[in-house]
Amino acid sequence: MNLWRKLACVILAVVLCASFAANWLAPAGYARQYREATNAGPSRTHWLGTDEIGRDRFARVLYGTRISLLLAPAAALLSTLMAALIGGLAGYLGGVWARMAMAVTDLFLSLPWLFLLITARALMPLNVSPLISVLVTFLLLGLLGWTTAARVLCTTAGSLRSADFVRQARAAGIPGQRLFWIHVMPNLKPVLYAQFWISIPVFILSEANLGILGLGVAEPMPSWGSLLKELEGLVSLGDEPWKFVPLILLVLVVISFQLLLSRHDEVAA
Amino acid sequence: MSLTPSQDQALLSARISVRYAGKQPVLRDVEIEIRRGEVLGLVGQSGSGKSTLAMAILGLLDSKRAQAEGTIAFQNANLLQLSERELRALRGRAVSLVLQSPLASLNPSLKIRTQLKEAWRAHASGTAADCAIAIRASLASVSLPADDEFQRKYPSQMSVGQAQRVLIAMAIMHRPALLIADEATSALDVITQSEILALFRELNRSTGMAILYISHDLASVAGICDRIAILHQGAIVECGTASQIFSHPKHEYTQRLMAALPRILLTNKEPEPKTEAAAAR
Amino acid sequence: MSGRHKMRGQMSKTCWKSIAVGVICVASLSAHVAAQAGGELKFCLRMEPKTFDPLKVEDEASAAIRYLTGGVLVRVNRQTQELEPELAQSWNISKDGRQITFRLRSGISFSDGTPFAAEDVAYTVQQLMDPALHSATGDAFRSGTGNVESKVISPTQISITFPAPVAGLDRLFDQVAILSERSPKKETAVLGPFIVADYKPGATVLLKRNPNYWKTDGQGRKLPYLDSIRLDIQPNRDVEMLRFKRGELDLINSLDSEYFDKLAATSPQLVHDAGPSLDSEQLWFNEVAKAPIPRYKKNWFRSANFRRAISEAINREDLSRIVFHGHAQPALGPFSPANKFWFNSNLQPQTYSPDAALKALQTDGFRLENGVLKDKDRNEVVFSIVTNAGSKPRERMAVLIQDDLQKIGIHVNVVTLDFPSLIERMTQSFDYEAIILGLTNVDLDPNGEMNVWLSSSENHQWNPQQKVPETSWEAEIDRLMRAQAASTDPRRRKEAFDRVQEIVAEEQPFIFLINKNALSAVSTAVHGAAPVILSPQTFWNADRLTVAAK
Repeated sequence: MNLWRKLACVILAVVLCASFAANWLAPAGYARQYREATNAGPSRTHWLGTDEIGRDRFARVLYGTRISLLLAPAAALLSTLMAALIGGLAGYLGGVWARMAMAVTDLFLSLPWLFLLITARALMPLNVSPLISVLVTFLLLGLLGWTTAARVLCTTAGSLRSADFVRQARAAGIPGQRLFWIHVMPNLKPVLYAQFWISIPVFILSEANLGILGLGVAEPMPSWGSLLKELEGLVSLGDEPWKFVPLILLVLVVISFQLLLSRHDEVAA
Repeated sequence: MSLTPSQDQALLSARISVRYAGKQPVLRDVEIEIRRGEVLGLVGQSGSGKSTLAMAILGLLDSKRAQAEGTIAFQNANLLQLSERELRALRGRAVSLVLQSPLASLNPSLKIRTQLKEAWRAHASGTAADCAIAIRASLASVSLPADDEFQRKYPSQMSVGQAQRVLIAMAIMHRPALLIADEATSALDVITQSEILALFRELNRSTGMAILYISHDLASVAGICDRIAILHQGAIVECGTASQIFSHPKHEYTQRLMAALPRILLTNKEPEPKTEAAAAR
Repeated sequence: MSGRHKMRGQMSKTCWKSIAVGVICVASLSAHVAAQAGGELKFCLRMEPKTFDPLKVEDEASAAIRYLTGGVLVRVNRQTQELEPELAQSWNISKDGRQITFRLRSGISFSDGTPFAAEDVAYTVQQLMDPALHSATGDAFRSGTGNVESKVISPTQISITFPAPVAGLDRLFDQVAILSERSPKKETAVLGPFIVADYKPGATVLLKRNPNYWKTDGQGRKLPYLDSIRLDIQPNRDVEMLRFKRGELDLINSLDSEYFDKLAATSPQLVHDAGPSLDSEQLWFNEVAKAPIPRYKKNWFRSANFRRAISEAINREDLSRIVFHGHAQPALGPFSPANKFWFNSNLQPQTYSPDAALKALQTDGFRLENGVLKDKDRNEVVFSIVTNAGSKPRERMAVLIQDDLQKIGIHVNVVTLDFPSLIERMTQSFDYEAIILGLTNVDLDPNGEMNVWLSSSENHQWNPQQKVPETSWEAEIDRLMRAQAASTDPRRRKEAFDRVQEIVAEEQPFIFLINKNALSAVSTAVHGAAPVILSPQTFWNADRLTVAAK
C-alpha cells in the first residue's frame, strides 16, 4: 500500500511538473500548426506525433493537463460541496427540509439541461477567450453536477440523524452546527469521495461534449476532453497507440489521486 | 453517602405524561424523583417508556411528534419549559447520557480523541493543553489508557468494553450532577457488564454523581441501585429501596418480574453485593 | 507535399475525363457478365425514408428510392450531365418558355401491368401542382400565379402549359416520377427499374426487379440485371463502414475523406474519388444592417476590400490538403468546375498571399501594431467564426483560418454551436460575425440557387430579405438572376450567370473555400459501377449494375 501511494505521489508530481514546465518541454505552443507534418507519428521533434492539423500532440497534452487537472477537480470539489451541503444538511435536518431539498433536486434533475445550457451559451458573448469559456464551463458543471449525490446524501444523512452516536453527541450538548460538521459529515465521506472521484473524469468528458453547445474549451486551446475526442471513431490501438496517451494519463491521474487520498477513508471504514 | 435521602435533597423530580401524536400515551403521569448522589434504577420491559423518560429529561424528544406535559424540576428549572439553547447548556454538563450499544454510540469515522475533544469543547473553552488534560483525566477515571496511541484509535479498533468506558468518560467529562445510563450494560457480555457496573458504582461513590440507571434487567439493576422504580405500561407501579423491592414486591408486575429472575442469580454470587448493600443501608 | 498537391489541383480536370473513359469500358464489359449474374445489391440509407410517394419527396433517402423506382419522362445523365430521353422520346419547349410538349414512348406498362399513356402524365402533373400537396418537387415549377394546363394531344403526346416561363423547364422533369391514373395500386405502380417489395420501418427497404420495366441493353436483354436491392436503414457511419468492410454492403454512396483514406490505405481498389462535387464550403460575414454587433465591425464586414483581404489571407490549398486530405479543391465560386455547363471557366483561382492581404487592408486605414491589426479608429480586429458543432472538417477549417488570419494580426475566436442555435443566430437574431457552413447543390441549374442570390430572399445569408438591394452589386445580381430565369436561351442564361459568378468573385459576399470531392466506395463484387459527382453517386446506373455471387 505504502509503495503504491509513493508511486501515486511520484506520478502526480511528474504530471503536474511536466504540465507546468510545458513552456520548456514542448517544442512549441499548443496552437502552433506544423502544416507540413500533419497527423504524423512520434518523432524526435514531435514525441507524440501531431494531430490532424499538425499541432504537436505532446504540447497539447501538457497544456491540456494544466487546464483539466486544475479545473476538473475544482469543479468536482464544488459539486461535492454542494451535494454535501444541500443533500447532507437537508437529510440531517429532516422533515420539511429534506422534502424541500429533494423537491429542488428532483426539479434540477428534471430540468431540460440541454435547453438551459444552450440558453447559457446564448447569454455568453461569442467573442470570449478560450480560457473564460472553459472556466465558465467547469463552473457550470460544478454547479449542476451535485444532484444525484445529493439524493444519496440526503438519505444517508437522514439515517445518520437517528443514529445512536448522533443521539449520544447531542446528549453531550454538542451544538447542532458542530454536530453536522463533526459527526454527520465525516460519515458521509464515502459518498462524498465517490462523488468527487466519479465527477472528475465525468467532468473532463462532459467538458469535451459541451463543445457541441459552443461551451467548453475553445480552439485552439487544448483540454483532456478535447484530446480524448480524437479517439472518437476510427482509431485502433494497434495503429496509433500514441493517440491513447491522454486517455492513459487521465486514468493514471484519477487512480493516483484515489490512492493518495483514500487512506483515511479506508481505515475509518 | 445517600443513607438518608430526604425530599429537599431531590436533584430531579418529574411528573410527566408523554404521548406521540395520535397514539396511546407512552408515559402516563409518571412521578419520579432522583436524589442527589443516589443511583436510581428504572426497570421495565421494552416499550414500557423507559427511554422516552430519559429523552424527556434530556430534552431530546422529537419535538414535532411527541407531546410532553407536566414538569421536570431540575436545578431550579422546569426542563420542559427550557429553550433548546438552555437545554443544550445542560446536556453533557449537568445531565449526561450513556447509551446501550457502545460501538454504535461512538462515531465510527472519528478518532476517540476527536470525540472526547468535541464533548469537552461543548461546554468548556480553553487551550488545547487544557483539553488534553481533561481528556486524559476522564480516560484515567474510567481506567482506560490515556496515551496518544489509544486516543488515536477509531471505535472499530477497540473492544466493546473499552468503547463503553470511552462513552462513560465522555459522559462524565464535565462532572454532571446526573448521569442517565439507558440500558448501558445490556449489550455487554457478563464479565464486561459487571466491570462496567462496578465502574458506575465507583464513579457514583467518588464523584457523588447521581445515576438514573435504566434497564429491563432487574438483576443488573439490583447490583448497583439504591432505589428502584418499576415502570409498567407507561406508569410507575412501584418505587422503593432495592431491598424493599426484592424482599417485598407489592405490585403484581413486580412480583412477576421477581418470579422471572433466574434462581441462580438470587442465590449465586451475583446478587450478593446487592443484599449486602441493602443491609448496609 | 504541397507541391504534389498543387499538381493535382491543376490536373484534376483532365484526370477526371480519363476516369470517365475508363468507366465506359468497364460498363460495356460488365454488361456481358451481367446477363447471367443478377444478384442482390446491398447498401445503406442513412435515414428513414419519410415517404414512398414520389411527389412528396424531400429527404435524401426518399429521393434514392424515387430514383430507383420512379419512371421519368427525361433524365439527366449523371455522368455526362446531359438530359436524355426516357419515357419521352423527344420534347420541345415553346419560344415563350411556358409550354413543353412531350412525345411519349408507346407499349410501356406500369409494374402492375397497367399501360402507360399521356393521361398518366397529365394526372401526375395535376397531382404535382395541387397546392394542397405542398410538393417540393412541384414548387420548382411554380413560376407565377395561375393554373398549369395539361393537354393530351394523343395517347403518346402531351403538352403542358405554365402560367409563366420556367427556366430550365425540361430538366425539372428529371425529378418527376410518373404516376398511373388508372392503376388501382396508385403510387405503388411504377415505371422505374425496381419496385418496393417490402419495407420494415427502421430496418430495411427491399426493392425487387420491375418485371415490366421497358428498357433493354444493347443486346436486347431486359433491364435491370439485378434481382433486388436491399437498403438497410443505418444512420451510423461507423457501422456502415464496418459492414462494408465485412462485405455485407456493396457500396457507400458518400464517404468522408477520413474514412476514404482509412479504406484506401488497406483496399485502394474499393474507393473512388470522382473529383470535385457541386457542394461548397464557405465563410461569410454578417452584413445585416440591424445586426446586434458593434458598428465598427459592421463597417469592416460591409467593406468588399476587407472581405477580399480575408479571402486572400486564407490558404485554401492547406484547407483541402489538411482538412480533406486532398479530397477537395479550392473553390472559385458558387459553382464548382464539376458543373460542366454553368461553371464560368474564366474565373481565376483566389491567390493566397498574407502580404497582399495586409497591404490591401492598409489602404483602408488598418495598421499592424505589435502583431495586432487595428482599424483606422484603433479598434483591434477581433471577430468570431461560428460553425456547427460535430462537423470536424468545418471545425478544422476554422482553426486553420484562425491561424492564417493570426498571421495578419487578426484574432479569431472559433465557436462551435449546435445546429439549431446556429440557424437561429443566422436567420433570426443575426447575432454573429462570421459563419462557416456548406452549401449543398443538388441542382446543376442556377435556378436552383435563386433563393441564395436574390437580395430579397431569406437564404441570401449575408444580408437576407432586403426590401431594395442595399448595394449596387446586389442589385446587379438580382437583375442578372431574374434575366437568366426569364430567358429560355441557354446561351443568354449562361452569359448572365457567368456575370453573377464574376461579381461574387469580386465582392466576396460568400468567401468560397473549397469544393469537396465526391468520394464513394464500391465493392469489387459490383460490376458496372461508375461513381460520379452527382447524386446518387454510386447507383445512378443501378439498372445496369450486377453483383457477382460471393
